Amino acid sequence: MAKLIVMPKLGLTMTEGTIAKWLKKEGEDVQAGEPLFEVETDKLTNTIEAPEGGVLRKIIAEEGATIACLSGIAVIGAPQEDISALISGSAAPSSGEVPAAPADPAAPAAARPAGSRVVASPAAKKLAAEMGVDIALVPGTGPNGRITEGDVKSYRAAAPGPEVKASPLAAKIAGDLGLDLDTIPAKGRVMAQDILNHLEAGAAGQAAGPREETVNMNGMRKAIAKNMLASHMISPSVTFNLGIDMTRMKAMREELKNAGIQVSYTDLLVKFVAKALTEFPLLNCSVEDNKIIYKRYVNMGVAVALDNGLVVPNVTDADKKSLTEISAELRELAAAAREGRLPMDKLKGGTFTITNLGMYGIESFSPIINQPEVAILGVNTMADRVVAAGGEITVRPYMNLSLTADHRVVDGSVAAQFLQRVKTLMEHPALIIA
Amino acid sequence: MTKEAISSNPSVLVIGGGPGGYVAAIRAAQLGASVTLVEKAEIGGTCLNRGCMPTKALLHSSEVYEAATGSAGIGIRANDISVDWEAVQGNRAKVTKTLTDGVRALLRANGVTVVAGEAVFTGPKTVKAGDRELTAEKIIIAAGSQPLIPGIPGLRESRACLDSTACLTLDHIPESLLVIGGGVIGIELGCVYRRFGAQVTVVEMLPKLLPLMDPELTALLRSKLESEGMEIHTEAQVTSVEDTPNGTKIRVKCPDGEKTFTAEKILVSVGRSANLAPLGLDRAGIAVENGFVKTNDFLETSVPGVYAIGDSNGKLMLAHAAMAMGEIAAENAMGAARIFDPATSPSCVYVGPEFAGVGYTEEQLKARGIEYKVGRFPTRANGRSLVEGCTEGMVKIIAGTKYGEILGVHILAPRATDLIAEAALAIRLEATLEELADTIHCHPTVTEAVRESALAAEGRAIHIPNRRKA
Repeated sequence: MAKLIVMPKLGLTMTEGTIAKWLKKEGEDVQAGEPLFEVETDKLTNTIEAPEGGVLRKIIAEEGATIACLSGIAVIGAPQEDISALISGSAAPSSGEVPAAPADPAAPAAARPAGSRVVASPAAKKLAAEMGVDIALVPGTGPNGRITEGDVKSYRAAAPGPEVKASPLAAKIAGDLGLDLDTIPAKGRVMAQDILNHLEAGAAGQAAGPREETVNMNGMRKAIAKNMLASHMISPSVTFNLGIDMTRMKAMREELKNAGIQVSYTDLLVKFVAKALTEFPLLNCSVEDNKIIYKRYVNMGVAVALDNGLVVPNVTDADKKSLTEISAELRELAAAAREGRLPMDKLKGGTFTITNLGMYGIESFSPIINQPEVAILGVNTMADRVVAAGGEITVRPYMNLSLTADHRVVDGSVAAQFLQRVKTLMEHPALIIA
Repeated sequence: MTKEAISSNPSVLVIGGGPGGYVAAIRAAQLGASVTLVEKAEIGGTCLNRGCMPTKALLHSSEVYEAATGSAGIGIRANDISVDWEAVQGNRAKVTKTLTDGVRALLRANGVTVVAGEAVFTGPKTVKAGDRELTAEKIIIAAGSQPLIPGIPGLRESRACLDSTACLTLDHIPESLLVIGGGVIGIELGCVYRRFGAQVTVVEMLPKLLPLMDPELTALLRSKLESEGMEIHTEAQVTSVEDTPNGTKIRVKCPDGEKTFTAEKILVSVGRSANLAPLGLDRAGIAVENGFVKTNDFLETSVPGVYAIGDSNGKLMLAHAAMAMGEIAAENAMGAARIFDPATSPSCVYVGPEFAGVGYTEEQLKARGIEYKVGRFPTRANGRSLVEGCTEGMVKIIAGTKYGEILGVHILAPRATDLIAEAALAIRLEATLEELADTIHCHPTVTEAVRESALAAEGRAIHIPNRRKA
């Protein structure tokens, strides 16, 4: 019995996923439990295994397609089985906004709501690329708004001619090279020589390649872009900087090391900040509809930089965990994040975030709050500083902390007092056991 | 001797009243210049008096004669057809006179002052013509060319020797004519006299006739000419000429050994050389290179403000090229900065069938390493050509492999010299096969063959089986 493979729902809040890569080809045998495809969500990329064995009969959702959770993306079945029933009605575009075929094909620009996903047949995509048509502008008339080859052709036929006058040859060359005829300087009609001159001028300016390159954002980048902008819009944030005398933290880390317990400063910060957060519930809350939701637990998010972005897994109940537990968990989270196997739940439910740029020598920055949290602590580099202590000039290791807080709920004095408390705890680590 | 300044307005002096010169004079006048044109002989130059037009007049007479005597196949039997050579020549002279009178009228209408006399430079911007000394801010040299007579022993002295000018005005149709040089002039005049009954032999030094034309179609034309009775020898070199009481003997070194021909007349059509010697260019400091005036892209000589066009600069020795250069030089003299682009200059041979080409030949593209594809359409598959009895012609389109841009069009067909204008425009507009194929061509015309050849290049000709793609 053939089985429809659906876009998995990897977390409670996941509504759609992008097929990053198919690891099997159509017609290939698949064993149950074998990696089948990679899915990209706004949080991470996961490898999904085949739920059962058979032949991968049909790939419904091509690589790059964004599909609503639980919509069909492929069919696994026996070689000769009739799978037509399974294929029809699958792969609904996630947006749910199915553009109606426009009554007037000459006005196609309004056909697709902004932000909705483009679902197109491979042939349509290829044709659009050849014709130099932006497929996002083509109204789809196939099932669920899927763009067919015919749609691309009729769009091209209906599209108003280029405003720039160009010879047929020049138009073909420009289309082939992906050049915008608008950008080519010409006396009147753009001729092939104008394009060659333009390219030559470009080549003279920069020896290799075009001066600009347009690349589509991947799922993670889109998610970061969306989330950061949203945070910027939602939270009126203020950043506070305070220097911490790290003499004792340093000594304590040495002591632990001598006792065979290796911890990082980030581990220590998670422990100390979690403690402070239990004392400052306003820094450990979220805001929803004019309501403040206080969290009676600390899920400490720690930003992990990846090659192509970053993720923020969190240490659940960090306030209740020992330093060694925190350390082990953080290490595992970071490794999982880098290997792309972070469970979705570890990316959700954070209450506060720590982000460390100290390894790059950063002395101060203003991190952006990881919504729906209300504050984030930026950790800067540790360096020896000349300070006056007890009337003496001394040299001590100092580290700046940069706290960004949401002024909707965290007033300056509260933020300052919290930061002050973190400083006190870290400069007097014995207080952690108090 | 009086010294005259041409005008207080921008002044342009044009040397030579041929197709380049008179066009330059009219264009400069249109742009507001005060124009003087110096001509040593007749207005209209070689083209109207000793070249294009008289040749076409004779060709037309010969064509009608041939049609009249050779149309039994299409149901026309005519008796007592004869050639009144005097009238043929009279018609030629009449056509020439009508045209040159027309040009004179045009010059007058445009306010161009025509000075009779041979212009000789006396300084960079001064010229002596007869007893007048003329000066102008800008000078356009359009002094034309004359037939070249090579130094073949006995040739120049032979009573049979004719250059193209003399060949146009013979007082009778010779019994036999040997043509030295199988270029356009030799083939066209050879055709005229062959049609009028002369035994015509063409001797060409190169492996092929018509050096500017597409070799494949040239080969087709050659078979046609040979089938009509023209004797053609290529890779053949005339070694000596000798007048004897039994006619003039011409010794020719052929690939298969030396041959001797006897002919009443010899037409020497091996090329033309620019008329530079009488101009005294050195007194003006105008540089000369390989027998032609050296010009830049703007047709300006080494002396700023002095231009040279047409056969004087040797860029392309064709009347229509000279006319195009005339307009450009006049505009540049009046402040423009136009460049002469020979890409759309067609080459035409007015024989039967007519032969015309524009753009690149396959050989030129190969030499430049440009990838191309070819579409061919034979005239035997074209209804109108068939009606007119042309079954041996062909239209050949050469287009870029990647984009299908028209790179060259070569036509051997009825009225090819008119059809070629579409191809030249296509090249000028950078059209691709698509645009030619998308244009509806009138039926029944020979132009359909042009469209079909574009289709053939894409393997989708309708009226011939297409070659299967490998």
